[in-house]
Amino acid sequence: MSALTSNLYIAVQGRRNRGLAGIYLLVFLLVALYIFLSPGILSVAGFSKFTQNWFPLALVTLAQALLMLNGGISLAIGPMVSLGAVIAATTMGGALGVPGGIVAAAIAGLALGALMGLVVAYLRLPAIIVTLASSFIIGGIALIVLPRPGGIIPPWFSDLLAGNVPTAFLLLVLVLVAWKIFLMTPTGLGIYAAGDNPVGAYRSGVSVDRVKLMAFALSGLLTALAGLFVAAQTGSGDPVIGTPFTLNSIAGAVLGGVGFLGGKGTMRGAICGSLILSLMINVMFFMGFPPVAQYVAQGLIIVGAVAIPNLVARWRRA
Amino acid sequence: MTSDRSPVVEARVLSKGFFGNPVLKGVSISLLAGRVHALLGENGAGKSTLINLLSGALVPDAGEVLIDGKSTGRYDPKAARAAGIAVVQQELSLTAELSIAENIGLGAYPLRLGLIDYKALRERAAEACALVGLTEPLDMPVGDLALGRRQMVEIAKALYRKPRVLILDEPTSSLSAHEAGVLSGLVRRLASERVAILYISHRLDEVRSLCDHVTILKDGIVTADQSLSGVDGQSLVRLMVGRDPGDLFPPHQTNKAGARRIAVEGFAAGMVRDVNFSANAGEIVGIGGLVGQGQEDFLLGLYGAIPASAGEAEISGRPGLATSVGAANALGLAYVPADRKKEGLVLTHSIAANLILPSLGQKMKNGMRDRGAERNLIASLAKRLDIKGDTGRAVQALSGGNQQKVALAKWLPKTPSILLLNDPTRGVDIETKREIYLMLQGFAAEGKLVILLSSDTPELVHLCDRVLVFSEGRVVRSLERGAITEEAIVGAAMGLERSEVA
Repeated sequence: MSALTSNLYIAVQGRRNRGLAGIYLLVFLLVALYIFLSPGILSVAGFSKFTQNWFPLALVTLAQALLMLNGGISLAIGPMVSLGAVIAATTMGGALGVPGGIVAAAIAGLALGALMGLVVAYLRLPAIIVTLASSFIIGGIALIVLPRPGGIIPPWFSDLLAGNVPTAFLLLVLVLVAWKIFLMTPTGLGIYAAGDNPVGAYRSGVSVDRVKLMAFALSGLLTALAGLFVAAQTGSGDPVIGTPFTLNSIAGAVLGGVGFLGGKGTMRGAICGSLILSLMINVMFFMGFPPVAQYVAQGLIIVGAVAIPNLVARWRRA
Repeated sequence: MTSDRSPVVEARVLSKGFFGNPVLKGVSISLLAGRVHALLGENGAGKSTLINLLSGALVPDAGEVLIDGKSTGRYDPKAARAAGIAVVQQELSLTAELSIAENIGLGAYPLRLGLIDYKALRERAAEACALVGLTEPLDMPVGDLALGRRQMVEIAKALYRKPRVLILDEPTSSLSAHEAGVLSGLVRRLASERVAILYISHRLDEVRSLCDHVTILKDGIVTADQSLSGVDGQSLVRLMVGRDPGDLFPPHQTNKAGARRIAVEGFAAGMVRDVNFSANAGEIVGIGGLVGQGQEDFLLGLYGAIPASAGEAEISGRPGLATSVGAANALGLAYVPADRKKEGLVLTHSIAANLILPSLGQKMKNGMRDRGAERNLIASLAKRLDIKGDTGRAVQALSGGNQQKVALAKWLPKTPSILLLNDPTRGVDIETKREIYLMLQGFAAEGKLVILLSSDTPELVHLCDRVLVFSEGRVVRSLERGAITEEAIVGAAMGLERSEVA
């Protein structure tokens, strides 16, 4: 066996990059354009600010991709972000302090995610319906916890996460490392297998229901923590701040090549997808697009990004 | 060896039914270490159900599965795996995005500190791949492999678990001759290493050269459990077929041959290749063979539903093939699909709405639908096909047989001259089957051409003037009335030479 394939893990990882060349190129071009339009990004403060704007979208895109890889989807991402934000804003100023607030938001995300997963996996209800219903419930809970914007995040904590230091970027690296390790566990690969071929995965000994539950719980955790970050960014809680994240998380995952039917796509693709989305919004802003045109352009780019690989594949086959 | 003749896995008088329809009736089978055991039977004889019971995927209604002579308590796929039973099913259990090695190890990864040990995985997966002759790099995603190679990965995945019992369900159906040869060698080698093997195949030559022992299922009953030495193909086929037809089938009628309706030369569609075929008005032509040998593609190709080509073609007196479903309808073709629930009917709509659907544009008055004429048409159709009760009920409330009648009846107002029927009696009760048979004979007597694809061999024998037997997309035998017997059809489908059947 050649030296190249002697390390199976590295070889497998390398293979997964091949289909992503187009996305990497797009990211590179957008970054170049961004630097050209706003050279400030090259300073530590500029880089920190940019990654902070991107970070919550990156987290929720990961959360969405995790479910989509497993053949599911969540329409409750936005409300869960809001809930994470209001929990952080109402607890951190109190007796529990910052650590208590982090734990509370994390537990809420894990528990609600697991609950949705439980219903989807064991009652065999469609994820899109369960999470649609949950989006109303979770949104309602967020409004009960904090009926109108308010609460308080200790300023030192806001400065730590959203100040002029690249904490967000470091956290993102940490999350990606954790995902890498998770993918090296049987459960991690089970998410792919159960998403692509649930019957086959079951016959191979993967506990498909448990894997699904796990995917929902982890997705909930990531989403609630994204909410916590948003609260730290704004310094307070807002019970409807998360709303745009539901559709943006799907957009990011789809841009990154994650398929709707399960088992298709990669996390690194999803991360790039969220980065493209974030860069796109900024670049259009710098180029002076009116906000309405931004939305139209955003939609066109998403359809194009999904259609082009499909058309290329069809053209190759013909 | 003393333990030589004691079975590793033994099924005792297993029975299993689905929705009150018994599929297995008291089936026993013993798999011995080092023996290659063939399981034969026609479509629907109960082979897949037996495999699913042996692998714990289904729970028997009666009877039990014994492992090493001990009775098993709660027997599920996990218990079967723990007992060393590995099954290679026809539907693959692979994940396209994962690499060959990750697929092979799925469900049984070697771990180190809770993480997959890729080094050990590579060694063990390489070992399994070497056994089946897979030379592709282990890091290659399974999605990039051809179907035959995926089948080999599936087999390697079973071997990776070092099974004591290996069940192979039609493993060679998608393999090339070379791959099938590798597999034969492998099966012999595993048998010499004392693995018990259950080998399901439709290729009799393969079974006779590879297997030691055979169990034959017919309609859920074991008709043979014997050594294969000295048994010829003809007697195997005889054990698989030959039910008592009873009063099910009406006597055969031969109609005066009418005008030529279809003539195609070098027809190809989907997996169908090089078919020369012609048929006349008033004929019932049967399409037989094992499931999935291109029969459906043949009908769909004629119907213009999938791209088809032909050297020469003439349909209903016009040159050329139908290029679309609309064109086919205009030429007088009608197609009744096998999956009536998905393709043939709109289940939640009323019987009336389903009956009128193909002819909605026909009954018009002043550019509007003529409700009165529609009602008359529906009533006459319901009467003609003996569909009882209120036609305002949803079609899904009807029994399978009556649903099938609706799926057929809806084409009659278009007065098709060629009916393409895809397994019209599948899952239909005996009574309705008989009604449908009479109906088909009626159509032929009226001068329609009926092309009947059926997975039920006796049906072909009793109804058809002519039967084409398909195998791997080609017509391997064309049997004329008089030469149509179950033995001849099954023998041809399983690749027996003509001389052996005659």
